Amino acid sequence: MRNLLFNWRDPKIYLPLILLIFLLILPIFLPTYFLHIMVTIFVFAFLSAAWNIIGGYAGQLSLGNAAFFGLGAYGAVLFTHYFNIPPWIGGVIIGGAAALFLSLLMGWACFRLRGPYFAISSLAIGEVMRLLFLHQRKITFGAEGVTVPFKGDSLLYFQFSSKVPYYYIALVMLLLGIYICWKMERSRLGYYLIAINQNQDAAEAVGINSVRTKQVALSLSALLTAMGGVFYAQYIFFIDPDFVFSLGLSIEFALMAIVGGVGSVFGPVIGAFLLRPAMEITNALLGATYMGVHLIVYGGLLITVVLLKPEGLIGWLARRYETLLKLLPGLKEKE
Amino acid sequence: MLKYDILLQALVSGILMGAVYSLVSIGLTIIYGVVRIVNFAHGEFLMIGMYATYFLWAYFGIDPLVAMIINGPLLYVIGILIYKSLFRRVVLASDFTKIFLTVGLSLVLQNLALLLFTANYWSVRTFYEKMVINLWGISISYPRFIAFCGAVILSLLISLFLLKTDLGKAMRAVAQNWEVAMLMGINPDRIFMVAVGLGSAVAGVTGTIIMPYFYVFPMVGAAFVVMCFAVVISAGLGSIKGALFCGPIFGIAESLGILFVGADSGLIVAFLILLVVLIFRPSGLMGKGKL
Amino acid sequence: MLLEIKNLSKRFGGLQAINDLTLQVQEGEILGLIGPNGAGKTTLFNLISGVFTPDTGEIRFKGENITRLKPYQICKKGICRTFQIAQPFREMSVLKNIMIGAFVHSPEVNKVEKEAEEILDFVGLEGKKEMLAKELTTIDQRRLEVARALATKPKLLLLDETMAGLNPKECDEAVLLIKKIREKGVTLIVVEHVMRAIMSLSERIIVLDYGAKIAEGEPEKIRNDEKVIRAYLGEEYRRAAGK
Repeated sequence: MRNLLFNWRDPKIYLPLILLIFLLILPIFLPTYFLHIMVTIFVFAFLSAAWNIIGGYAGQLSLGNAAFFGLGAYGAVLFTHYFNIPPWIGGVIIGGAAALFLSLLMGWACFRLRGPYFAISSLAIGEVMRLLFLHQRKITFGAEGVTVPFKGDSLLYFQFSSKVPYYYIALVMLLLGIYICWKMERSRLGYYLIAINQNQDAAEAVGINSVRTKQVALSLSALLTAMGGVFYAQYIFFIDPDFVFSLGLSIEFALMAIVGGVGSVFGPVIGAFLLRPAMEITNALLGATYMGVHLIVYGGLLITVVLLKPEGLIGWLARRYETLLKLLPGLKEKE
Repeated sequence: MLKYDILLQALVSGILMGAVYSLVSIGLTIIYGVVRIVNFAHGEFLMIGMYATYFLWAYFGIDPLVAMIINGPLLYVIGILIYKSLFRRVVLASDFTKIFLTVGLSLVLQNLALLLFTANYWSVRTFYEKMVINLWGISISYPRFIAFCGAVILSLLISLFLLKTDLGKAMRAVAQNWEVAMLMGINPDRIFMVAVGLGSAVAGVTGTIIMPYFYVFPMVGAAFVVMCFAVVISAGLGSIKGALFCGPIFGIAESLGILFVGADSGLIVAFLILLVVLIFRPSGLMGKGKL
Repeated sequence: MLLEIKNLSKRFGGLQAINDLTLQVQEGEILGLIGPNGAGKTTLFNLISGVFTPDTGEIRFKGENITRLKPYQICKKGICRTFQIAQPFREMSVLKNIMIGAFVHSPEVNKVEKEAEEILDFVGLEGKKEMLAKELTTIDQRRLEVARALATKPKLLLLDETMAGLNPKECDEAVLLIKKIREKGVTLIVVEHVMRAIMSLSERIIVLDYGAKIAEGEPEKIRNDEKVIRAYLGEEYRRAAGK
């Protein structure tokens, strides 16, 4: 129901717009540390939305999306380091292609099967990538990690000295990611994924090639996640296998989507906005003395959400949002 | 020019380690076969067994082989507690719920260990740790050999238990069809409980017997369990015979990987094998559904 | 000849479910498929629609060999089946269920939505398009099952016991709907136990027992065929004798 002329007086239109404008002017007065938190929120929301495509819509629970993330990150950094190739090519194209290839391999192995095989294999793949990059020291620098050489502000080499450009790029990435999910949900692919999820046999009987449909979802998820990896590498300037390929990261992508609402466009975004700041706070308070506390919280949260509210918060939040819209003044569309 | 005895050494190492993988995999596959839950926290049961062994040794001087007697029941009880508090709630739930429940549990247990015991690597000392058997030109370390024997004996005991005892048969019945088993007068809840307890105990005892030649650290379970998943899937989820057979195969693959490719590449080789199996024989080498 | 089945056999362990079956389906006809429980009717549907692969034999559709194709491929070729126990996408709306079927031939959401709405009206589900599939009554779920299949624009539609559990009035409605479907140019194979329905619907009936064809012909002839009577009565005798 998209009108060509926006009805500016309708809260359904102006509220998100106000929010967007707020986000756009935020860097002007927000201190650097908080700006950093916003960037990580955007990036993780994006990565979680990417996970949601395969984990939420397609119902294939990936515990190894970090594999794609790491490939994007290492692609970006290694090709710059060795050949001076900008991360747009090294990371986006080559890293992306590698992630795509890996996703095809995974799909080929698992999508003809029903049951937990995909979850297990994805976990294994994440681990294998981590070990691979850990031990091929000559190429990847192993556990020491690789630093991105700073050549000065440059869009070509995707690096900036201030956090502000990153903020806007991350915001655009997130909006793009949301748009892609939103479009996908309303496309044939989206319908097909939900159908397969609910009744695969019936789906096949009405002409759905479930293997190929799932593969498309996984490949899309892989590509987007790899892009997130490229951004991360260029933002943090340092990557190592134990972080970029970690199981904790893979789980974090999933957790945000689960808390926010699996299989919904905004679920991952909500999850990221809730969990990332919480994690920063936990780390700031306890992280120095007690390692791994935030992961205990994550684990506990995962268990709790899965037992008590597996559909996530989106339903409840959507209703509150509807109520809010009704209370706001304006010329509303009659539903 | 590859020396014959280096190859033989690798093969033997592989078999020795493989038996251990088999045993842990049997625990994993029992839990899946009976309760239909993929226990992503299985490695943590192993880890708990290892830490328990360490503390029994550090504070009471108890040798790991003796500690088995304590850890078996200990992990059995822990398994039952975990079943009662967590697993029981998701027995009828979707794969999604089951998977993320155990993943969450794994995270909590690993990081609790990290919190309580730090990331340091710990090990026990035994009087036989340096002892070696020399056979056919190769040397077999005593602790590994003992672990191998322990694994083989326990695997056989478990197989006998499942085949011959009433409780074992009840477990196999529930694994095939718990609703029908229920009609036959079997209490599925009790069987699920025993299965989780047994799986956990097996993992814990395995941890105990490998302590003499392994280090314990919070993530040790994670490293181990990926290999076991490869074994279990290649074998076919729920197949004990498969786990017995595939454990050594993966053990050997790992050894050969280390020999020909490099250290710590064992997992990669194993994973490649898994990929090949999944592509060509998706339901595993032995199929699923039967214990 | 729209569908040709030659020497089809399928065994499950010790059970020979389909036994050297040969039959043809002509374009435009309504073929009735009957037989006692366990005769292999649903198995035959599963074989035609690609859920199972036969051990021996061949299935040809419009001259093309479709024996080893997968279900989604067969659907794309123009054969669609309904399930004995309705299998809707329970958490989706009625309209979306039908749209899924329509997506086989076109990815455009708006076009598919319109097609689905037409089919919705055609089968008699008007006014229910936003209801969730799981909220429908049994007869409406059957309608939805048929609607979704129709959305795939099949040349051959396999209906599996669509009328089970319906009262006589609902049965008559179903018969009318099936005839309407045929008028649109769809060939049908209908499996039914409700005798009055199948007798009035079909021009030709094939009777299966133990996976083999035991009779074939017009309804009147089948009704009086001794082998058919024995196949059905035999079962009742067995039941009456308490076996």
